[in-house]
Amino acid sequence: MSSNIYTNLLFKSLYNPVDSFRDLSQVDPAPLQILLRYSIWLLLLPPFFAWIGASNFGWRLGAEEPLRLPADALLVISIGYLLVLLFGLVSTAFISRWMASTYGANKSLGRHLALVTMVGQPLAVASIAHLFPDVLVNVLVLIPTMIWSMYLLYKGIPIALETPPERGMLMASSLVGWLLVAAVSLLGISMALWALGVGPLLGV
Amino acid sequence: MTMTENTIYQDRVTLRLIQFAVVWAVVAMTAGVYLAAELIWPTIDFGQFWLSFGRLRPLHTNGIVFGFGVSALMATAFYSVQRTSHVTLFSPRLAWFCCYAWQLTVLLGGLSLLAGWNTTKEYAELEWPFDIAIAVVWICFAVVFFGTIATRKIRPIYISNWFYGALIIVIAMLHIVNNLALPVSLNKSYSLYAGAQDAVVQWWYGHNAVGFLLTGGFLGMVYYFLPKHAGRPIWSYRLSVVAFWAFVYSYIWAGPHHLHYNSIPEWVQSLGMVMSIVLLAPSWATLINGVMTVSTAWEKLRTDPALKFIVLSLAFYGLATFEGPMMAIRSVNVVSHFTDWTIGHVHSGALGWNAMITYGTFYFMVPRLVGRELYSTRLANIHFWMALAGTMLYIIAMWAAGVSQGLLWLSVDQLGELSFDFKDIMSSMTPYYLLRLVAGLVFLGGTVLMAYNLFMTMKGREPVAVTPPPVAPAFGVAS
Repeated sequence: MSSNIYTNLLFKSLYNPVDSFRDLSQVDPAPLQILLRYSIWLLLLPPFFAWIGASNFGWRLGAEEPLRLPADALLVISIGYLLVLLFGLVSTAFISRWMASTYGANKSLGRHLALVTMVGQPLAVASIAHLFPDVLVNVLVLIPTMIWSMYLLYKGIPIALETPPERGMLMASSLVGWLLVAAVSLLGISMALWALGVGPLLGV
Repeated sequence: MTMTENTIYQDRVTLRLIQFAVVWAVVAMTAGVYLAAELIWPTIDFGQFWLSFGRLRPLHTNGIVFGFGVSALMATAFYSVQRTSHVTLFSPRLAWFCCYAWQLTVLLGGLSLLAGWNTTKEYAELEWPFDIAIAVVWICFAVVFFGTIATRKIRPIYISNWFYGALIIVIAMLHIVNNLALPVSLNKSYSLYAGAQDAVVQWWYGHNAVGFLLTGGFLGMVYYFLPKHAGRPIWSYRLSVVAFWAFVYSYIWAGPHHLHYNSIPEWVQSLGMVMSIVLLAPSWATLINGVMTVSTAWEKLRTDPALKFIVLSLAFYGLATFEGPMMAIRSVNVVSHFTDWTIGHVHSGALGWNAMITYGTFYFMVPRLVGRELYSTRLANIHFWMALAGTMLYIIAMWAAGVSQGLLWLSVDQLGELSFDFKDIMSSMTPYYLLRLVAGLVFLGGTVLMAYNLFMTMKGREPVAVTPPPVAPAFGVAS
């Protein structure tokens, strides 16, 4: 079981997530193994797609002219994007493990890391929309994907972390609270960076 | 009045206020949905002034804040102050006066807004006759509430009453000071303040209306109904008291963050910004207290559909009280101000926090008030998912629209000239506004389901007679 858990996680979680959560509940994978053999490959997708899309077409925010940035700035932004995703994944896994004692869930860090990756996996795959860098297209693709990811979060916690569904529901809601705060922080940090002169040229 | 009426809790007025609150929720949210449609198809005002965005928008906000919000707060305050004081309402007739006079004021006030009477102060649009009416009803509300506290049979004043008390005192202060004006006719008055002073006073009012009404008042609701729901005491009572005083102290300074880069002194802006960030601490102290209280009572989720609303409202409370301080930072505000992100922020608070906590509380109160099971748990569960989906879709649509606007409005070329035309940017927002319209319809649909569910639950029923329980001698008021 544990030898093919990574392949299982990577593919099965897309078409049969419930089974995949059940598989995860049988093992206690090493966190670093999960990160290097599973999570990191998915984390690379969004910055990669974003870099290709933005460097070839420029972001369309609704105005006629797409917003184009110089190649080196795009590279810095894409690397920054990767680091933010990495921080988001690891911090969410740690916070999830920290919450586990309150909600009577399993405390294996590897499992939390794998679970968070499985929840985020549809978003990583759907980030293929970044190849077409139009904000509206991305919103339209990513909103349904996000709803699916939220469903996976609520569904996955009780199974993979072995806690009653009601406690799992509370834990998932607490994590949603954290993720909303993280998302809005990302917006705020981006805006503060723009105002400070990093990224697009703004008249502030 | 018979003897029995003197010895049972006055719950009929609570039930009536809940009914009014639900009606206002449906009316004001419908106005909101119509406004969302007007932003996509501006011609659907059909040339009627009363249906134009400028007149309908204050009806939407006043209907939600004063119609839905205050009716719900009055209902829950009357309900909980009796039960935490072990005594029936002080002056029930005055309580009934508050109930009906308030509804009449909001109704006529709403019509006056449609007629174009408007002071142009946001959230204080009502003209002077209504301001006086509001002040009178509010003082009566204070007499009923504090009168009940004064005649209480139990010595400690429970924490929810501190929050409701702060709501009543501070809103009276804000409302009266901000609305001081010189009337020149029945529908026109001039503010006593001018220029920058007017702006500072207005946002001292505006932000603290958010603070003490939409946050403080609803925290009173949380502190009474969450432990009741969960069947557990508050996780840390001490933390709730510390959070209360820190909250009251820091909120009152935060108003100037609405006026960043405006013609008010820079130090006032900085002060507003710093106090807004400080505010995160007491806001989240309450959040932690709520989350920890509910986390020990997870078994209740099996039987109680209403608890889900309260759990989720805490998540959105956490989001909104984090987002606010962040948007108060000047270097964020320079991009986010005047964009749709602000509208999204307000709605993550109003839909995700205020409406959801109220819905959860109503689903809890109404079956207990009328002594009958909720008509349909299934409808309540459907309502829950509609409320969640509507709120999320609303927030995300406005985040995307707001960030795009902020970025495009300020984009300059190498010569320092604006890169994009304001008109073009706004016309490209239509898809986001469509998403917002869908979000609003979904949320409104859920509210209508609740209205039907609650109506069927309370149909043909009178409130159950409840007598105050005896007080343990150790906690009794020495007389």
